[in-house]
Amino acid sequence: MIGKLRPLVWLLLALPALLMLYQLASGETFAFKLLHPTGELALRLMVLALMVGPLIAIFGRNRFLLGWLALRRNIGVAAFIYGLLHLVFYVMDMAAIGPILDEFWLPGIWTGWLSFALMLAAATISADWAVKVLGPWWQRVQYAVYGAVLIGALHWYWLDNNAGPALVHLAPLLILWALRGVIKRNRRARKKAREKEHLA
Amino acid sequence: MTIHLRLAASLTIAGAALGVAQPALADGDVICSGGPRENWKPVNDLKKAAWLERWEIIETRIEGDCYEVYARNQQGQVLEAFFHPVTLEKLVVFRRGTEVYRKNGFTG
Repeated sequence: MIGKLRPLVWLLLALPALLMLYQLASGETFAFKLLHPTGELALRLMVLALMVGPLIAIFGRNRFLLGWLALRRNIGVAAFIYGLLHLVFYVMDMAAIGPILDEFWLPGIWTGWLSFALMLAAATISADWAVKVLGPWWQRVQYAVYGAVLIGALHWYWLDNNAGPALVHLAPLLILWALRGVIKRNRRARKKAREKEHLA
Repeated sequence: MTIHLRLAASLTIAGAALGVAQPALADGDVICSGGPRENWKPVNDLKKAAWLERWEIIETRIEGDCYEVYARNQQGQVLEAFFHPVTLEKLVVFRRGTEVYRKNGFTG
């Protein structure tokens, strides 16, 4: 089922990028204006990729969530591609290495680079063979995306001087992580109680 | 069922809390006290003010009750500057979110 859906999902994920590149090529827009939409999409897609894990932990496995899980790697790669476009448009806008280095250590800038580096780490091993070769290490490297999403949100906050938009984007994840924590704790407590009963 | 109910309740409360928190978080926005739009100077005058700073304009926008200019200065630094839309005074300037200029006494 997902196999048939995958090309359609790819098309859907690629559509905003194609539109942006078309607008750029036709002179309708310019690199600076595309910084915001690409960064926002990268963050949104990362959130979308990370949401499914806690959702399954909370609601259990169902067809919808399993389908979402099967597409998670595609969503993650798309997030990386929008992050890469974000960086490309940034370099296009700055147009020289001097000013890029000059502002590297500003809080709003190094956070963007760091978030991208973490995404890069996760994205470079996104191929099927890498999943097989790396075994348990694959999952460990993917945890970098947690850092990428949080630092990416910090990058947005420090650039904008406004926590609102970044926090709204993080909110679904923060809520789900909190709920997963609560549910896991409850389950553990119940299990312990049952074991105690058993022993008594 | 109860766990679902509890979950729904938690989500609702979290959502509501976020909704309440929203206006409090919006204080990063610059307030220029620009007054009614019909008294604002035309955007061309704003462009001239930025030109007088010897900046290369990237983009001009209206942000809340301010004129906002994204520009590059002579050192190639990208600046985000807020101008009063009537007096066209430069009120506050950020460089990638870091404040680099604030007009004396401006608290908006």
